[in-house]
Amino acid sequence: MTVNPIIRRELISVLRSRWALGMQLGPIAIFSLLVILRWPSEGQVDVAGRQAQQVFRLFGYGLLAMLLLLAPAYPAVSIVAEKKRGTLALLLNTPLSRPSIYLGKLLGALGYIALPLAMSVPAVAACYAMGGLSLTRDIGVLYLVLALVTVQYTALALWISSFATSTDSALRITYGTVLLLAVGTLGPYLFLQGHPDTRAAHVAGWIRCISPIPAVMELVGQGDVGGHGLIADAGAPLRYGVLALATTIALAVHTTWRLTPTLFDRARPAGNNTLGASKSRQWLRRIAFVVDPERRTKPMGRFTNPVLVKEFRTRRFGRSQWMLRLVAVCALASLGLTYAATTGTLSWGVETIGGIMVLLQVALIVMLTPSLAAGLISSERESGGWALLQMTPLSTGRILRGKLLSVGATMLLILLATLPGYAIMMVIKPVLQQQVLLVLACLLLTAMFAVCLSAAVSSLFRHTAPATIASYALLIALCGGPLLLWLGRDAPFGHDLVQAALRIDPIAAALSILEVSNFSQYNVLPANWWIIASATAFSLALLTFRTWRLTQPR
Amino acid sequence: MPEVGPVVVISELTKKYGDFCALDQLSLSLDRGRILGFIGPNGAGKTTTIKILVGQVRPTSGSASIAGVDCIRDAKKIKRLVGYMPDTFGSYDNMRVYEYLDFFGAAFGMPRRDRTRRVDEVLEIAGAFGFKDRYVESLSHGMKQRVGIARTLLHDPQVIILDEPANGLDPQARIEMRELLIHLAEMGKTLIVTSHILPELARICHDVAIITHGHLRAFGTLDEIMHRVSERRLIEVELTNNESLDAAVALVREQTDDGSEVVGSATEAIVRFRTSKSQKELADLLARLVHAGIGVCQFRELQSDLEDTFLSITRQPKDAVEAWLPRNQHPQ
Repeated sequence: MTVNPIIRRELISVLRSRWALGMQLGPIAIFSLLVILRWPSEGQVDVAGRQAQQVFRLFGYGLLAMLLLLAPAYPAVSIVAEKKRGTLALLLNTPLSRPSIYLGKLLGALGYIALPLAMSVPAVAACYAMGGLSLTRDIGVLYLVLALVTVQYTALALWISSFATSTDSALRITYGTVLLLAVGTLGPYLFLQGHPDTRAAHVAGWIRCISPIPAVMELVGQGDVGGHGLIADAGAPLRYGVLALATTIALAVHTTWRLTPTLFDRARPAGNNTLGASKSRQWLRRIAFVVDPERRTKPMGRFTNPVLVKEFRTRRFGRSQWMLRLVAVCALASLGLTYAATTGTLSWGVETIGGIMVLLQVALIVMLTPSLAAGLISSERESGGWALLQMTPLSTGRILRGKLLSVGATMLLILLATLPGYAIMMVIKPVLQQQVLLVLACLLLTAMFAVCLSAAVSSLFRHTAPATIASYALLIALCGGPLLLWLGRDAPFGHDLVQAALRIDPIAAALSILEVSNFSQYNVLPANWWIIASATAFSLALLTFRTWRLTQPR
Repeated sequence: MPEVGPVVVISELTKKYGDFCALDQLSLSLDRGRILGFIGPNGAGKTTTIKILVGQVRPTSGSASIAGVDCIRDAKKIKRLVGYMPDTFGSYDNMRVYEYLDFFGAAFGMPRRDRTRRVDEVLEIAGAFGFKDRYVESLSHGMKQRVGIARTLLHDPQVIILDEPANGLDPQARIEMRELLIHLAEMGKTLIVTSHILPELARICHDVAIITHGHLRAFGTLDEIMHRVSERRLIEVELTNNESLDAAVALVREQTDDGSEVVGSATEAIVRFRTSKSQKELADLLARLVHAGIGVCQFRELQSDLEDTFLSITRQPKDAVEAWLPRNQHPQ
């Protein structure tokens, strides 16, 4: 039997890497540790299977987090990297059909991610042996949902890859979309659950099921995180299954259809300008665009940091016209949040609405920061621009200031958009002023940490794609990892261990300040600030040292 | 800086990466307004030398200076003296050509008004003014090379170092590039150019340095090197048929007997060899061939060009290095 040559190439080349070995050994180690932790030490067995369910719950969340993080990484660059290298054109010129090329890529990527999933089976079997779990209703359905997650996010990443123009932009857009689909879709439901308008709540309930998180939560028998006393609609796994299958098929068909030589037929705007146009046209364009994208920009100012301006100009949405649109979107989002905060605070209480806002805001920081900062140094090295920067008299400090400010300014703008929402909470409950200010300090610190960490990671890599993956992995692990331990807060993990874990989590700090249910009992501050501030300082020092090294003669 | 005397001075430059010796006691100097063709096979040490000159690589030993400024100790000053165009363009997405140059001008601390004027000037010199408003990534390779040269000229450097500027250019663009480099030399700039397209270099270079395995194998003007190499002239003997080719090769090998490579081509019925024999000795060789009953149609000396010179030099063993160097460049 002839194996699809693309599967062979894609899968075997990836399996040869050290990454793959780490991916196989890492989950085995973690899952084995979990089972050992709860394995009955005496000759007695818990008939209700509480211990097994505790471990199973962690398995569910851990595997889901791992899949969300790893599944899109490889397929996101799969098509675009081939397109850039020119090998996709060669593939399209072979007798291989479009579906077989697509299937080769899909199955290759799935084979890669199926490994750690398969590695978890012995640990789950041990968990099953502890009793209290059903093979079909619990374990089988969970693995079915996880398999769907893998296929859906792989198909999504391949689809985005077919549109992307560079590997790093493919990764950014993919991870952004994954976060939006997995976390962002929970937002409307969190705000609208129990709303008098049942149709809106019903729609929000379906939107929520786009994310696999509610499905897994239901399967491991946990309540609704962020819920406020109401019982959520059951059937999340089924709803998710239907939506995931439909989107996977649609994405697969569209990506396959796109795999033609016309994929390369993309005209790049050569660069018109309105300098020679009539005054009336110039005025009309100014009125229409506010900042005309086709105008000739002015030379950089004398006291401007050239790297800062360059970073904004080279960023796809960094130009003035786009920044103005971003400000407009932020203003609209701010108005929406203000409305939601007003109505939500009155009916649900400040703690719940504050908790939801913090979660969404941290998700936004985690989603945006690596996409902006993970290429600060690596993209220069990848494009050959670093050798040219080295030939200029710009100092390491000036280069770094320009680069960090370009990301910091954008993040600050986005964070400022949520200020009115918090202000409303302070107006409704003035005693909260101190708490809200502390939360804002937390978020600011988180943003600074995320920027410095991503930039430091960027300085360690020659290519932006792995730098982006590593930045996302680190940030998600730091923000999401301790929350996994928190989910097992009563068992298998004790109070001290959960508290120690939450102290490194910026989300937990903000939630504990807002005294969100089940976070208020942990004493997270000021240890969290010290840890995050130290990690920020360390990242900044590492970034400075690495950048300085890169500017020095080798 | 004095107007006379060498602008670029490299003295016994050595660079080792672990056990691997990328450069071995390289010494050469270059006068103002000259164009140096820096030639060598891949991995010969050209880019290492260039990177030491522009302060991006620290040598293991030896020294290099440009306009009297030490390339290793005063790397900051070197940045203003040298314009360097690496073999990769180093483009930034979403930037128009004038924004790209404006950025580098600002990075060199040029005042805003001077910068605007200078950007137009260098675009004019490089013949790239026509695509001032175009996005850099939308340019063709030849256009990018022109913009790259405009970028190196921006801060008005004394020495311009171009790594493979003609690489990937079409014939028309190559001719234009050649004219541009000659124009830059006429402006008083000192140029160091690496290229694999030797006929192009032969037309523009005043001096040529040939480097292999980190060793400088030949250095001087093109005429000087060819003269030194042509002490071993390339002779071609065309036979009436290829039946007597082996006999001819054996006889030539026996008569030359100076370690030269003698190559017989059965398809062409030609024997080629390089020798330092005198005219009379060659006449004797021809007589012997005829006397041995080998039908000779033609017995002629081939005119060598830079490509032949390069091949002659690079094919020689390392210990033959002294033969091609000027007396003051011989290794100690």
